Amino acid sequence: MLSLLIEKVSKSFNSKQNSVQTLDNINLEFNKGEFICVLGPSGCGKSTLLNIIAGLEDATEGRVILNGHEVKGAGPDRVVMFQESALFPWLKVIDNVEFGMKMAGVPKDERHEKALKYLKMVHLSRFQNSYIHELSGGMKQRVALARALTLDSEILLMDEPFAALDSQTKGILQAELQQIWLETQKTIIFITHSVEEAVLLADRVIVMAANPGKVKKEFKIQLARPREPENVDLAYLAAGIMKELKEEVEKVAKAEFDNDWTVKKDSLLSDTDSNMGIGL
Amino acid sequence: MAYKLGVDYLRLWKPYVFPSPITVFKTMLDLIADSTLGIAVLASAKRIVIGYAISILIGAIVGFAIVRFKTLDENLSPLILGLQTLPSICWLPFAILWYGLNESAIIFVIAIGSAFAVSIAIESGIKNVNPLYLRAAKTMGAGGLKVYWNVIIPASLPTVVSGLKQGWSFAWRALMAGEMLFATKGLGQVLMVGRDLADISQVVAVMIVIVVLGVTVDKLIFGRIEVNIRRRWGLDRA
Repeated sequence: MLSLLIEKVSKSFNSKQNSVQTLDNINLEFNKGEFICVLGPSGCGKSTLLNIIAGLEDATEGRVILNGHEVKGAGPDRVVMFQESALFPWLKVIDNVEFGMKMAGVPKDERHEKALKYLKMVHLSRFQNSYIHELSGGMKQRVALARALTLDSEILLMDEPFAALDSQTKGILQAELQQIWLETQKTIIFITHSVEEAVLLADRVIVMAANPGKVKKEFKIQLARPREPENVDLAYLAAGIMKELKEEVEKVAKAEFDNDWTVKKDSLLSDTDSNMGIGL
Repeated sequence: MAYKLGVDYLRLWKPYVFPSPITVFKTMLDLIADSTLGIAVLASAKRIVIGYAISILIGAIVGFAIVRFKTLDENLSPLILGLQTLPSICWLPFAILWYGLNESAIIFVIAIGSAFAVSIAIESGIKNVNPLYLRAAKTMGAGGLKVYWNVIIPASLPTVVSGLKQGWSFAWRALMAGEMLFATKGLGQVLMVGRDLADISQVVAVMIVIVVLGVTVDKLIFGRIEVNIRRRWGLDRA
């Protein structure tokens, strides 16, 4: 069942000197309950794409259609989880989780109960009366996830939510996100620059090309869940995606650095088992 | 100690220029006993409360308006910054012409003295709110006034409170200046009477009262709010 449609979306930023095309004619379809990872080198416009879906930025051309209606502006039907947790430091954990429901005018008792339910889901009910600065990075993201879940949105947008965490914490949260996704059946659009993360979580990985941002290739990941990061099939799929991504990373690096910067072939993000001893 | 050394042994100062702590204490007791001090404090307190309240109101309106309307910001901001550097007592001739020699003139000077500091604090407080908070609030369905009430105001509170504190000290100074010039009662007037009668101990006694009042208000009101904010935001751990 189709839920979200991105139709011919382009975005360019114009300044006095030049105009930069960030996104060029993006066409994507997301099915209901699908877990999609958008993968790309930094600067390929993947966060811009997410912001356009969220309604935080406007597309220069094209439109985003959610359940048959064009998206205009931000709204609680497309909750975003940011890389920095974006929790409010002046509120206690429980009040942070209740915030979205408070904005929607949910009665106090009801929203308290629901907030506790989701805090339990992320295993932080013990910290409901703490302030945000008392939490670790991983705990903050858990609270942010609970806050996003309380709004019962069909779509959850995640903008590199685990990028700033240490790898152990990241691993735990990835496992839990899979679990929560299986339980809640939400459509999740997950932005990341980590291939391993993408193949671990996604049903479908969308690799983006940079300058201008385009959809380069799509990969279906048809593996049983819950997936373990150690899975050999994952590594195999990751290697294939890595090859696509490598080209783009080199392209971005070339555009950013001085002209005299060159890269040795396959030295960037190389996967040693697939080059068949080419460097010998 | 300093008094003993300076006045009694080295004879640097004359006793009528530099009163002994004991005479100051005695004068203070006298002033309290004949309720001069009580009346003066009440009169001053009334003026500053009214003046300060008005200044917060004006400051808030101006501050919010500047943030809301870009043209106002571009045209008014430099003017406000300039006006803030103008000592509030400079408004006194203006106030006297407008209101005459009465309460309203003093209250006007107090209000105008601190309103600019308050509005600047509100403006910069709101402008410095982390845009991430606003984005998060938007995606959770907050809009319009709800964003102001639930996100912008609490997020800008740390800056605003320090502005209010600054405004309070400006208001207090304006009050003293106004009272010393033409009030019929109030702390500034008692201080001035001391000067007119060459009663240096009364002058010092009133100065001490002013300092004590200032510190008390700071500790009891602003201090508590600030400690509370620091604790919530986790700013006192560094």
